[in-house]
Amino acid sequence: MTEQRRRVLLIDDEEVVLDSCLAILEDSEHDVAVAASGAEGLDKARAWMPDLVFVDLKMPGMSGMEVLEKIRAFDPTIVCVVFTGFATIASAVEAMKHGAYDFLPKPFTPDEFRTMIRRGLEQRAVVVERTALRREREALRENFAAIVSHELRSPLAAVQQNLFVTIRELDGVVTDEQRQRLQRMSSRIADLLALVNRWLRGFSVDVAPLKEGFRPVAISGPVANAVESAQIEAVRKAVDVIAEADPAAVVMGDEGALTEALVNVVGNAVKYSREGGSVVVSVGRQDGMVVVSVTDSGVGIPAADLPRIFDAFYRGHAAESGVAGAGIGLALTRRIVEVHGGSISATSDPGRGSVFVIKLPALDSPVPGQEETPPQQVSKGEAG
Amino acid sequence: MSERKKVLIVDDDPDFAAGIRAILDTQYDTVVVHNPKDGWEALQKDRYDLLCLDIMMGRGAEGVMMARKIRKDKVLREMPVLIITGLREQIAFLFPGQAVHPGFVPVDELVEKPVEPDLLLQRAGALIAASEARQGR
Repeated sequence: MTEQRRRVLLIDDEEVVLDSCLAILEDSEHDVAVAASGAEGLDKARAWMPDLVFVDLKMPGMSGMEVLEKIRAFDPTIVCVVFTGFATIASAVEAMKHGAYDFLPKPFTPDEFRTMIRRGLEQRAVVVERTALRREREALRENFAAIVSHELRSPLAAVQQNLFVTIRELDGVVTDEQRQRLQRMSSRIADLLALVNRWLRGFSVDVAPLKEGFRPVAISGPVANAVESAQIEAVRKAVDVIAEADPAAVVMGDEGALTEALVNVVGNAVKYSREGGSVVVSVGRQDGMVVVSVTDSGVGIPAADLPRIFDAFYRGHAAESGVAGAGIGLALTRRIVEVHGGSISATSDPGRGSVFVIKLPALDSPVPGQEETPPQQVSKGEAG
Repeated sequence: MSERKKVLIVDDDPDFAAGIRAILDTQYDTVVVHNPKDGWEALQKDRYDLLCLDIMMGRGAEGVMMARKIRKDKVLREMPVLIITGLREQIAFLFPGQAVHPGFVPVDELVEKPVEPDLLLQRAGALIAASEARQGR
């Protein structure tokens, strides 16, 4: 069934094991290579790109566990099976925690070995396919903007444009009820267009060119804008938004983009707050970074969702709780923060609230650990 | 009043162009073409008081190419150009606080698809009036 020859690498310091494995595989359709030490095995794995690796755990020099970890780090799609001497179940379990697919206790029969090879190669096929699918999905994601703009937005715009004209032309001709029906159609199309626009902003906006227009920005400006833009929702939910700005905190950046980033974070904090809660936006400086933290006392983020909240389209439990959103805001925020050389992170106590921290390189900040900076040194980097 | 002004619409989506035309037809003589090549030919044949130009046409931003070509032309550069595009988000993001890409024709104005009839008529009227004032007519 397999037309392409598969590559199996055997790493073991015992020559007798390698020899007997080679004998078992002599008539097989696979290409087999052997290595007598961990270091040699690792080199061969990197150069030869095997599909399946068998590695002995107990070897002098580089241990099997280390080889396993390094192969997994080099290419996680390579399937690794460990040979274990005696009944070292504990180390076999440890190896599987480090990414081994399975283990084969020594001594093993030729059939046990062949079966393990077959299973290992089947696993390899599954992993490779899964990786290919994931790459395809990433590519699709990147092309999404183009697809959306042409395939979705154009027809919607055309429909809406003609509805505009029709409603205007039929003014006074149709009944009130008919006119309202047309206007409902138009307003639903408008909602759909707004949704598509939000997607577009998340995907097609290339943030890299922003760098060309970077200039000193006092972070208090974007903070104030973000707080203001969250006010309508905050007032509606009786959420108190408190901003403690530091007027001396200045970064190199794009004011509009930084505002966009903060609008998303502050807006989210208000969105996920309980009625009557509070949101605190504070600005400080730490180790040459301007640190903006946004703390809410809201519903919090489940631990399982935390690592993925900055991924595009990820909505986690927000999707179930009925809070509106396209899963774009935080992804865009991260891209903006990163183009400014900064980072964004979140911690959360489910049920109690979340803290989002944005760190951006501070402009003319003192070198860490050097509190007093002579003025002439401050002005050195301020050509722009 | 003088005779009706002439407006050229270049947009590759026939349905969208029809929607724009129906609005502008109430006040102007309009001609619609569906690609930049036909648009360029129309501009060589007749004089227009306003060009309504789509940006994303064909294999990409062919409208940008056409706008640049117009800017280089001694006669056509006097004609106001109204960009009608679905890409305002991107342009506004990259050039915050500016109506449009600074490399475009200086007389550019930009509106987003779909465009409200009143807004379209107001922008078109303002561009034509500004252009006439500039040319001292």
